[in-house]
Amino acid sequence: MPSLNNVVTTQNLTKHYGHIRAADNLNLEIPEKSVFGILGPNGSGKTTTLGMLLDVIIPTSGTYSWFGNQSNTENRRQIGSILETPAFYPYLSAVDNLKIIAEIKSTGYGAINDVLTLVGLYERRHSTFRTFSLGMKQRLALASALLSDPRVMILDEPTNGLDPRGIAEIRDLIRTIAAQGKTIILASHLLDEVQKVCSHFAVLNKGKLLYSGLVNDVSGDEQRIELSADDVNQLYSLLENYPGKKNLEVKDNRIIITLPGDASVTRLSSYIYQQGVVPTHLVALHRSLEKQFLDILNESK
Amino acid sequence: MSRLVKIEWLKIRSNATFWVLVGLHIGIVLMIVLSGKIFIGNLSINGSNLKDFAGINNIPIYQFPDIWHNITYVAGFLKFILAIYMIISITNEITYDTLRQNIMNGLSRVDFIISKLFLVFLLSVGSTLFVFITGFSLGISTTTDLALHDVIKYSGFIPAYFLQLTAYLIFALFIGLLIRRTGLAMGLLFLYSLIIEPVLGLRIQNEAIKGFLPMKSISNLIHMPFGKYLLREIQDYVTFREIIIVIAYVFVFIWLIYLLLKKRDLK
Repeated sequence: MPSLNNVVTTQNLTKHYGHIRAADNLNLEIPEKSVFGILGPNGSGKTTTLGMLLDVIIPTSGTYSWFGNQSNTENRRQIGSILETPAFYPYLSAVDNLKIIAEIKSTGYGAINDVLTLVGLYERRHSTFRTFSLGMKQRLALASALLSDPRVMILDEPTNGLDPRGIAEIRDLIRTIAAQGKTIILASHLLDEVQKVCSHFAVLNKGKLLYSGLVNDVSGDEQRIELSADDVNQLYSLLENYPGKKNLEVKDNRIIITLPGDASVTRLSSYIYQQGVVPTHLVALHRSLEKQFLDILNESK
Repeated sequence: MSRLVKIEWLKIRSNATFWVLVGLHIGIVLMIVLSGKIFIGNLSINGSNLKDFAGINNIPIYQFPDIWHNITYVAGFLKFILAIYMIISITNEITYDTLRQNIMNGLSRVDFIISKLFLVFLLSVGSTLFVFITGFSLGISTTTDLALHDVIKYSGFIPAYFLQLTAYLIFALFIGLLIRRTGLAMGLLFLYSLIIEPVLGLRIQNEAIKGFLPMKSISNLIHMPFGKYLLREIQDYVTFREIIIVIAYVFVFIWLIYLLLKKRDLK
């Protein structure tokens, strides 16, 4: 894999609120063009960390740098961001709200209608923000983040309060945006959400960075395969002698074999056939991100 | 710079509260100024009532040059209506989280302050222009012996009114940013300017020292003019010292606003 530049790096980024360490010596690197999930239970410091990167929360100590430079105000214009709830002027229309953002970001008004169409709010563009439903507010926030064609998008719990269709739409939108080569930083406590859209992820708990890596690495250094056959006992004795086997267990008339991460499942199945057994069931068990996440949290205790 | 002006203009352009309060300010100033004779008639200074004073209709309150001093003094009382808008404008930015979103979107904190100072400037220039036009129209239509000398005399109260309003609105901006909640900030603004500082002033005997209190220094720019119709001595000019004190306060308030915003987490 070619080494990519990082869009943002932090050095010992720390924020204390009295005795509480909302962020504790964070050293994060977020690679360009990644979809980077920041996972953590509520109150783990996700929003505090993003707030510091966006200059709305003043760090107690430590530094950060966007795009390898220090000019933060200019940098923020290349970042489309939503933190927690959508923030707009309730008495202004969707279009006027976006005009203010276009002025702040020093871009023209040309993209306003396009982003409103993209999120399905074009028909309501002249309605005031206060008349919008929660889902529409979220979509306007997404439109505002897209407005300046940003290099990076920061989305904090973007599917909060949305119905299943809305969640699916946002997910598709995130994939579409990521496919355009933009970096997306996504904070969420929904593991499923991160697993479905992210390429990288980091785990935060009590302000500490517990893990940072690729989502695909989650399966890690071993894989588990679940098998069954008409004669389970015969299959069991066969697998006991399978080279490279790390573990073997029986659960509800099914056998789960643990193999090294790089072992070939095809070779396993042809081995079984050659021994004259026809498996009725053969499934590679994905170690879910949820399991991984809970393991990481448990290890840290 | 024009970008910051545009941002603030977009925020107020369709804001009903802005137009209602500007309309109220204009309406109430006009109402009081035009009923000046009634106002003057009920005015009593140290026991002498102007109503009992012979020839009330001959008092030249609308004529050049007195009009400049009279109208700016009266309008100065109604600056609180614009201060209310100033407080609403800044506390809304905090309660709507739009201040935070503005910064996240790429506005610097200093830019944000400048855009709010533009609002102060807009309100001050607008109100000063309105007071100037009203005063000029009244002067032109009531002065019988029009002389350029009289038109110009006392017209220095117009820039004094501008400075008075600017300083007061920046103070309101500071209070709004400090307190963050609309109602509480308005309460404190009135409590401070109507009760806290006057009570504090009672303990200070020396008028010159009293002139250093922020609200007192702002109101000192335009002293009460009506005493002269009772043949009392009044200060019908603005001193250099008074101007300097207020300008110093303007810078102090802006500096405090900057410190507040620079150190604060916008959560």
